[in-house]
Amino acid sequence: MEARRLLLIGRWLPLTAAFAILSGCGRARLPAEALVFTQTPVTSPSNPGADTVLDERYPPGSRVVLLPSPQDPERLRVLSKGLLAAGSPVISADGTRVLFAGKASARDDWQIYEARLPGGRPRRLTAISGGAMDPAVLGNGAVVFSSPVPPAGATWTTTNPAALYRLNPDRSLLRLTWGPAAAVEPTVLNDGRILFVSAKPRGADGEISLGLFTINNDGTEVAAYALDRDGALWVHRPRELQDGRVGFLAATPTGFVAEGVQTARPFAGRRALFPFSAESCRSVEPGGAGRVLATLLPSLGTTNRSFAVFELAASATAPGEPLFDDPAWHDLEAMRPGTRPRPLGHLSTMSAKKDYGTLLCLNVNFSRHRQADGSPARTATRVRVTALDDQGAQRVLGELPVHPDGSFMAELPADRPLGFESLDADGELIYRLPPTIWVRAGENRSCVGCHEPPNRSPRNVRPKAVYEPVARLRLANPDLASTVP
Amino acid sequence: MKSRGFIITSLASVVAAGGLGVGGYYWSVAHVQRWTGMDHLGFVNCNHCHLVRVEKLPWAKERPRHPAPAGLAVSPDGRRLYIALDDVNEVAEADTATLQVNRRIKLAGGPYGLLAHPQDGRLFVTLRHADAVVELEPGRLTEVARIPVGKGPVCLAYTRTEAGERLIVANSLSDDASLLSLSPLAEIARPHTGREPFATAMSADGSVAFVVGRIAETKDFVTPAASELTLIRAATGRVLKRVPLESAHLAEGLATVASRGWALTPLVKVRNLIPITQVANGWVMSSGLGITLADGQTVQVPLDEANDYFADPSGIAVDPAGRYAYVVSGGSDAVSVVDLERLSDWLSKACELTRREAVDDLSLSAEYVVARLRTGRNPRAVTLSPDGRRLFVGERLADRVLVVDTATREPVGHVVLGDGGAWDPIRRGESVFTKAAHTFQSQFSCRSCHPDGHVDGLAYDFDGDGIGDNLLDNRSLHGLASTAPFKWIGSNPSVEVQCGPRFARVLMRTDPIPPDDLKDLATYLQSLPPTGWERRRDLALTPTQERGRQLFFATTRPDGTPIPRERQCQTCHRPPLFTARIPTAVGTRGPRDATELFDTPHLLGIGYSAPYLHDGRAKTLEELWTTYQTNDLHGVSSYWSKHQLNDLIEYLKTL
Repeated sequence: MEARRLLLIGRWLPLTAAFAILSGCGRARLPAEALVFTQTPVTSPSNPGADTVLDERYPPGSRVVLLPSPQDPERLRVLSKGLLAAGSPVISADGTRVLFAGKASARDDWQIYEARLPGGRPRRLTAISGGAMDPAVLGNGAVVFSSPVPPAGATWTTTNPAALYRLNPDRSLLRLTWGPAAAVEPTVLNDGRILFVSAKPRGADGEISLGLFTINNDGTEVAAYALDRDGALWVHRPRELQDGRVGFLAATPTGFVAEGVQTARPFAGRRALFPFSAESCRSVEPGGAGRVLATLLPSLGTTNRSFAVFELAASATAPGEPLFDDPAWHDLEAMRPGTRPRPLGHLSTMSAKKDYGTLLCLNVNFSRHRQADGSPARTATRVRVTALDDQGAQRVLGELPVHPDGSFMAELPADRPLGFESLDADGELIYRLPPTIWVRAGENRSCVGCHEPPNRSPRNVRPKAVYEPVARLRLANPDLASTVP
Repeated sequence: MKSRGFIITSLASVVAAGGLGVGGYYWSVAHVQRWTGMDHLGFVNCNHCHLVRVEKLPWAKERPRHPAPAGLAVSPDGRRLYIALDDVNEVAEADTATLQVNRRIKLAGGPYGLLAHPQDGRLFVTLRHADAVVELEPGRLTEVARIPVGKGPVCLAYTRTEAGERLIVANSLSDDASLLSLSPLAEIARPHTGREPFATAMSADGSVAFVVGRIAETKDFVTPAASELTLIRAATGRVLKRVPLESAHLAEGLATVASRGWALTPLVKVRNLIPITQVANGWVMSSGLGITLADGQTVQVPLDEANDYFADPSGIAVDPAGRYAYVVSGGSDAVSVVDLERLSDWLSKACELTRREAVDDLSLSAEYVVARLRTGRNPRAVTLSPDGRRLFVGERLADRVLVVDTATREPVGHVVLGDGGAWDPIRRGESVFTKAAHTFQSQFSCRSCHPDGHVDGLAYDFDGDGIGDNLLDNRSLHGLASTAPFKWIGSNPSVEVQCGPRFARVLMRTDPIPPDDLKDLATYLQSLPPTGWERRRDLALTPTQERGRQLFFATTRPDGTPIPRERQCQTCHRPPLFTARIPTAVGTRGPRDATELFDTPHLLGIGYSAPYLHDGRAKTLEELWTTYQTNDLHGVSSYWSKHQLNDLIEYLKTL
């Protein structure tokens, strides 16, 4: 009887084991010191034929790897096996997947791939024309990425700027950003918002100025997050750290340096992330116990001239010894595998039945440029609303009266860049926001003022605009379609 | 043959059952229409009007009790910590060195506020449910004196004036403060305060008592509501000044800074006049600190940060040197350490405009908040040892008191009072209710608008059904068991629907509350009795109230003219819950309302839940019939005299 039972168990054992392996139960647990990072070859010749920014950033041979133990380089596993080049890894909150940008062959576009940890083969997730890059993972497992991949050196000047997209677990695709400037390098904040790099409207000097922006996971509530025309020319790879800062890379004449802003007051100025000066930094990521994983180029005094992985405390006065360094490769974009806080979700308030969103401004005369008593230098009585049409031409949608308390409200076409111009009683321009922001279908959007100080809560005042019928402005208005500001 | 008979019998039974069903359906519809006088009603379940017994409701049953810390006090020598445990009717004494509980004494009536006499250590305790203050002898904790005060006393403060020693007691349910002399223990005065006074403190020179109300008082939906900080002469009880804290509510703490002449009030800065189109940037509410300066001017500054919020600030303690203030956030399980010197520096440099707008500048708190200390679940009360070296934080839903070394800002241990009650679904539900992590960036909790499950007295403009349309008065959650449907238009059939994904979409702006937590939340909400139920249930009606009762149940006018059924109070507000749970049109539709049919609220505890009507337009019960009555649609009141209206209102307040 006992033997028969054993026989039965033995018959089922392989099937059970197979099921366990397939379902992930048999997955080997990675040690805490494991690293996932990108390697680009040190000796690869310059890549003059690079078509896109990713070809430039990740020359052929670049790869995404898993290193279970920095002390044992022999155990290094290539996660992008079979691809011509790969980079920009990011790990899902449950720690089971690594997503990265990869290129299968020289003829192919860059696309988003995923590999199961600890070492599955890469699986392509996107097949989007123009390519995809900069993956990030939402709390529900959906993947956010940027597309198309800009031509080399033309991220901010190309006529076909990159936008952010969301690839849902059911494979449906949703475009998230609708601004005129590229939206790249998204990362998901713990509060569920998507933080990304984009360009602010060009100033009078025509100079490009980059900033950090946020949207919800459905593209609603686009808002500036940090870097307000404070001289950050190029901004790269923002990441939320564990010590209450958002770190990013800022361009210097010799390379990128790590900088950061406090999440408590992100507009109150950016500062160096580390107290020491590093020649160049290629990534910052949250490390263990409030530390920061950074990939740095060791100082000039050393013979080794390849980027290496360092783990640094906030108080570190010097980079110290690298956590891992392979002289044959630039070790970049290092992060710890394993579970991480799952970003919160956001239930969309968009409505498929609408092709417009509603914007409520509480007081167009509330601005950072005010007189000592708080009154505006010039009072706006009207607001002109502009938009970019499908050809990228700027159109006037109409003008709205401003209520005595400075409020106005309007229904505006969804999913296209919108701009606003406040006008005084003589029709003279006071402030101008070129078509930059957008509303999504069914979104109710609000703003406190016009060029108002950052991080402001509204005053608890009932806006008069809500008592009046909502003005409806549409791009297809035949009376206004040919008007330009 | 047998089978044929069986088939015929079965068919006949089916036809008979069907006939009964159809007939019963039409009979019940006719029955409902006849007894309500409302022709538009279709089928309504029997339990809208019948089969409801109060004693069967969850809130009428005994529930598990927990040793949750309420008020805290430290003996003058700093060696003993006293802890009021209102839920189990006890006061505990703990050794501050060993953190062990020395003893727990029984004290019926819900001991809540505590005060240790600064010289001789006599302990004074407010009994929240017994409306009294008792004096305990510090050695054995035996009661030596007791005095009745106003309703719902929750907090008390001590001072010595030229006229003798005084206690000021905040009476949360009667909206007044009791001024007591100590020798003998007697009430000298009971001045009126703001709504729901919840905290008290004394000025540095002991001449002025401060009392703050936690519920804001409203005028209309254009004027910002304000909580009241009442300044009272400590010797006589005369009100010196009423300071409105604009757009502030949930003010549950108060402390004075002797060296600076400040009164500090943690508060929730509510923005209910603005449509809730978003939550980011404190659009709905944020946490702040009200600073009433020596010259009487009040400045509000934020406690929150641009991307992180510290919801439901409650207790506050200031160290003896006046350098640091410690503010606990019950929704975020944190203590914010405010450097008062840095705050003072900022104030001295800030111009009038900057001060006025300070509380809206979310990047400002980094100037003076120097640390955030993590605590266990739902810290509410806080106190310091006399030398300021130990901070005691009552973790209400963890049944513990956290002890922190103020020099290192590191925890040194806990005074453990209970097991936290994780086994009790009601307790778990209360934890969900008070937890801000369910909202975007932890900006607020359910409790932020429903303090202790009740009302905040404010109306809100949710944007889901149109910006500026369908204003909604915040309804009490007390006594809601068996009063479904919910929402003012009665569209949500259960608490789970009301508080589920719908709420996450329109208000919390983040993930819905997980199903298990939602179930616990519903259990907790259904366990909440109507406000003041225990203190009213066995009281006989006074003659005035009895006259009001007869008016409520009147079926004819005094001249014998019948009152149509649909306009009799009892038809819609049917006992025992005083609601038939059927949306009704009573002529209260406003110009921006999408419907004229509104859910019929239950009337249990109605006297405590002002304002009234779906959009909160009626500030008092009187206004329902003096200002907002339309053609006798909301009960036939045109024949009432002023005295009769008063009678009715007195009766309603007994429900």
